[in-house]
Amino acid sequence: MSKDGNEDEMVGYRQQPGKLPFAKPGSGGKNQFSRPTDKEMIPESQGGDLAQPWGSHRHDKLVSGQIIGKPTALVDGKWKVTGQAQYGDDIRLPGELIGRIIRSPHHYARVLSIDFSKALELPGVVAIATGADAENKFGVLPVTKDEHAMAVEKVRHVGDLVACVAAEDEATAREAERLIEVEYEILDSIHDMRDGLQDSEHPIHDRGKYHIGDANVQKRVFQEFGDVDGIEQNAIASHKENWLFAGVNHAATEPHAVVANWDPSGRLTLYTPQQVPHYVHRALADVLEIPMHQINVYRTFVGGGFGGKSDPFPHEMCSAILARKSGRPVRITFDREEVYWINRGRHPSRIEMNLHADEQGRICGIETDALIDGGGFASFGHVTTYYNGVLHTAPYEIGAFHYTGARVWTNKPASGAMRGHGAVNSRCAVETGLDDLAEQLSVDPIDLRLANLLPPHSATITGFRVTSIGMRECLERVKQESGWDEKFRKMPLGKGIGIGCGFFISGSGLPIHWDPNKFPHATVHLKIDMDGGVTVHTGAADIGQGSDTVVAQSVAEVLGLPLDLIRIRSKESDTSPVDLGSYSSRVTFMNANAAISAAMQIRDELLDATAEITGAERGKLVIGDRRIFAKNDPAVGVSYLEALHKAQEDRGALVASGAYRTPPMGRTHKGAAAGLAPAYSFSAYVAEVSVDVETGQTKVDKVWAAHDCGKALNPLAVKGQIIGSCHMGMGQVLSEEMKYGRSGHLMNPDLLDYKIPSVHEMPDVFPIIVESNDPEGPFGAKEAGEGPLLPILPAVCNAVYDAIGVRTAELPITPDRLLRLIERKCKAEGVDDPLELPSPRLEHSELQSVLLNRATEHAKRDLDRRHNENREPYHNGALFGLDPTTPPDEVDEKWAVNVIPSEEYLADPRLAGSAWKHTERRHRGDS
Amino acid sequence: MRMPPFQLHTPTSLEEAILIAGDMTSKKQEFDWVAGGTDLLPNYKWHLNVKANVISLAKISELTELNETHIGAMVRLQDLVQSSATHPVLAKAADTVASIMVRRSGTVGGNICLDTRCYWFNQTEQWRESIDWCHKCDCGTEADCRVIPNQNTLCVATYQADLAPVLMCLGATIHLAGPNGTRSMALSEFFQLDGMTRNVLQTGELVTHLTLPEDVAEWQGDYQKLRQRESWDFPEAGVAAVWKKNGSAKPSQLRVATTGLESIPMLHTKQVDECLDGWSGAESINELAESIRKAVKPVQNTWFSPSYRRKMVKVLTRRACAGLMEGGS
Repeated sequence: MSKDGNEDEMVGYRQQPGKLPFAKPGSGGKNQFSRPTDKEMIPESQGGDLAQPWGSHRHDKLVSGQIIGKPTALVDGKWKVTGQAQYGDDIRLPGELIGRIIRSPHHYARVLSIDFSKALELPGVVAIATGADAENKFGVLPVTKDEHAMAVEKVRHVGDLVACVAAEDEATAREAERLIEVEYEILDSIHDMRDGLQDSEHPIHDRGKYHIGDANVQKRVFQEFGDVDGIEQNAIASHKENWLFAGVNHAATEPHAVVANWDPSGRLTLYTPQQVPHYVHRALADVLEIPMHQINVYRTFVGGGFGGKSDPFPHEMCSAILARKSGRPVRITFDREEVYWINRGRHPSRIEMNLHADEQGRICGIETDALIDGGGFASFGHVTTYYNGVLHTAPYEIGAFHYTGARVWTNKPASGAMRGHGAVNSRCAVETGLDDLAEQLSVDPIDLRLANLLPPHSATITGFRVTSIGMRECLERVKQESGWDEKFRKMPLGKGIGIGCGFFISGSGLPIHWDPNKFPHATVHLKIDMDGGVTVHTGAADIGQGSDTVVAQSVAEVLGLPLDLIRIRSKESDTSPVDLGSYSSRVTFMNANAAISAAMQIRDELLDATAEITGAERGKLVIGDRRIFAKNDPAVGVSYLEALHKAQEDRGALVASGAYRTPPMGRTHKGAAAGLAPAYSFSAYVAEVSVDVETGQTKVDKVWAAHDCGKALNPLAVKGQIIGSCHMGMGQVLSEEMKYGRSGHLMNPDLLDYKIPSVHEMPDVFPIIVESNDPEGPFGAKEAGEGPLLPILPAVCNAVYDAIGVRTAELPITPDRLLRLIERKCKAEGVDDPLELPSPRLEHSELQSVLLNRATEHAKRDLDRRHNENREPYHNGALFGLDPTTPPDEVDEKWAVNVIPSEEYLADPRLAGSAWKHTERRHRGDS
Repeated sequence: MRMPPFQLHTPTSLEEAILIAGDMTSKKQEFDWVAGGTDLLPNYKWHLNVKANVISLAKISELTELNETHIGAMVRLQDLVQSSATHPVLAKAADTVASIMVRRSGTVGGNICLDTRCYWFNQTEQWRESIDWCHKCDCGTEADCRVIPNQNTLCVATYQADLAPVLMCLGATIHLAGPNGTRSMALSEFFQLDGMTRNVLQTGELVTHLTLPEDVAEWQGDYQKLRQRESWDFPEAGVAAVWKKNGSAKPSQLRVATTGLESIPMLHTKQVDECLDGWSGAESINELAESIRKAVKPVQNTWFSPSYRRKMVKVLTRRACAGLMEGGS
């Protein structure tokens, strides 16, 4: 047993309280003896050997060299690989019933009557519910609650919920489905998003006095920043493209599943693979009309979310309603087609992108018009409408930004939030547009970008506060590692290389459901008892991205403990503090910050106890691996457990609560909060492709993927996110598409015909981690879950252009679409055989050296702003000669901010902008 | 329980299987054969033309023989890929079928008899209810065809199997057995141009094996397949070409067949004859490719558009024949 052979120690334990070998040096964890501190893991600022080219960080003193920055297998990985992880459909409660949902066969109809008497007579059928059982509305955003558990009055798309049934087994439930008779009055349905802009006899929803005309416009945005009127005069090169993006689905491996159970005390437990358990919690209380404390939301393991499990869902309500009616647990598991019917995937979009460059190669204007197809419900659409605009106001410094956006209801499954929420499509349009501008100006597209970047610690044209920026390093790394200069515009026909960049929020600055001044964004509780193990209570939803792991790592690092001493309890709302959930790439930033703050309190108590035991000076004590000692004399110290037991003497288990809230940020115009985040991630990808010009088939061969995640707390997970993002984005750019047939039906609601790239399509991805050391991020970290998806789409589009000289404006670039463009190109070039097409070539213009010089100057500027704590403010506009220290609209009236369209604009609006032609009913006086 | 209930029969010999089938036929009980199940069972889960009885051929060992000229109906596709006895073009085509997991279960007979496919048909019951059913599975409603409306005499679902065009080119004979005895025919005569009847099999009859001519090894060729992804996907178009050369640049014999374009695979004899008659090397191949493009009539019921699939037939034919131009002889 013990090293020194003192096996008698356990004998007489009862007679010798306090003599247990608990407090042996290094006890705790799998390895009994503490490791010496690895100087390589300790930052320079603390006297270690870890280089900090980006400067020191406020969390440096908390680094114990334990686990932050080390590639770490996910803490829940073993549950998954041994099959012990319980996903939604794995929950089996005694006496369970199987629930099935009766869905609309019509695109749009009024429900006249539902007769379920025959179904109820079927032996084995226990309960049936319809919309009349729960008429309260819900929705993920408080401003747009427009969903019911089941249809009340109308069904809005094929697959919309009409009724639900609970039976002893699935066969009976399916039989009962057939026996339920529903009478409908069919209404004229809308399938083309452009039709949603027109007045309609039966708008899909009625928002009363807030309804926009009689149209199906759910949300409209108008924004003007900067010198919009000067664009025409300043521009020497302009790009215009009308994009059409097909809708895509998250296609998570696990279909949605839910189990509801009312326990004997009358409380409801809902087992569901949710990204955002707290919003379900709220919605359940609204729909079931019971107080929130009567509900326990249990998040099961989540088999992939990607945004597709972040709304409160009607089937979750159905299971709770059926369970209440039947008095038994009810389990509902979706078939794959039901996943497509609940959807919430990326919006099908029509985006008009206009980019302008002036004679100095500055981006003097971006004009975007985005019409997005919301399908039948609002979901996150309010936010998506803003994100399609505001999330491409960086990383470049721009002279003017004009955005019109509109989201319309159509009779399709609802679109919602999906990885890269709202930013992906318009980012693709911007980045391919920049490629075109570079082509027009005869300059290198990477150098064009490098000469137009915002510096660190600056404000975008819309007033977003940007802190750390690793964009320049991302671009430089991919340029170098891909061999860009030897390949770009130099490869033979059919081979191409392209660049794309990305910019994404690291946590939404504004919580969806409450005033951030009243509640924090994230809270983490810690409990440590005499065994030394740390129980972490967090509501952060691990959806496979590794949030449990990152929270465990943060606590382990601060307390100097091995990971196996940390246990995460993140599944139940009964025991975990409220958390807003896994969306907007907020979890690492907010929860790890909260966890660090909680762990710091425990750390303080342990240091106090150590000072008391050893008599050493408190300020000189440091934490190493399960040992607390004097920095100048490591022999003076105690083990973690000794310190812990001392700290526990008078109070038992140590507990601590840590929280995180964002600092006040942003400006005050309407919509100013959309896109605000405490930090932003940046990325740059280079893709190399082969295009078969005879068939139009595109193969991505290699991707160099640089992402600035601030600090890779777990490099293994960051690389996984980068590679996974490449796969998902490649699906959208090359093959994935929710295909609607001529009758408006979704033709491919299955995984054979919804073309997710297979392993054969996957390129070699070379992930490159850039660590810009964000001042507010936990240990410097920012997000890595969504931002890495953005650049792959434009990188592939631009590479296709480099390969064959054809620009696409429709995604996915399926071979048939690309072949049409190739044929058009052949015609324009006057060649019969596509194999004789010319390859694009580049000869630099004089502007190239201007850009190179500016990029060099800016690199120095950025370096200075990175390290100089006394830096002046920098507002977008300085590149155009304005005073960088004040917001441009305050110094130059041409740069006024405008969120209401002028009469002049409305005389000839763009597509989505035409949504502003309607008057809100309350202003029409006929509400 | 997505799978509808059915009675499973598992005969251990061909004779017993035919006996069971004959018995059910005489009692007017409906049934389906199942071999590997990779086609039938997904369709059953979608409640597509489900029968009350299913006769499994899995336990009939006499149907698994495989050599150079004999391919049993129950030979697994992956065994066909890996066997050294398999003609290389056939092995190549088999290797493109679905994924390795499907190939380990799917069989040669099942692949030949693959049900025709259509976007309006291969859908769940709820989905098909939303289009008010279709001709191929009308659930008693006498529904119209949804691909080409206003005609409900012919189903235009697409035959999307990979082996048939190669086997047709190689001159395979298909052998059937049923309650009324056995019969054989050229594989090209096995198929019937109707997405519902599909082939000449009578109720109770099944495919036992295929035979290839003795000179099969003397044929060279290629199989080209059009699809979105390099795995899983059915052929959106497939072209097999095989030829014999006798020392001259012009092939002494050439056969080309296509799949994935209509309700049956097709051997393009007329076009090939014209090509050989006026042989002028690469130019003739181009002309052949163009004439085959004109000969096929795909409809809008798979992933790619019909016009694209037709264009690709031309490219695939050219590529399948590329080997013909190599090496002179």
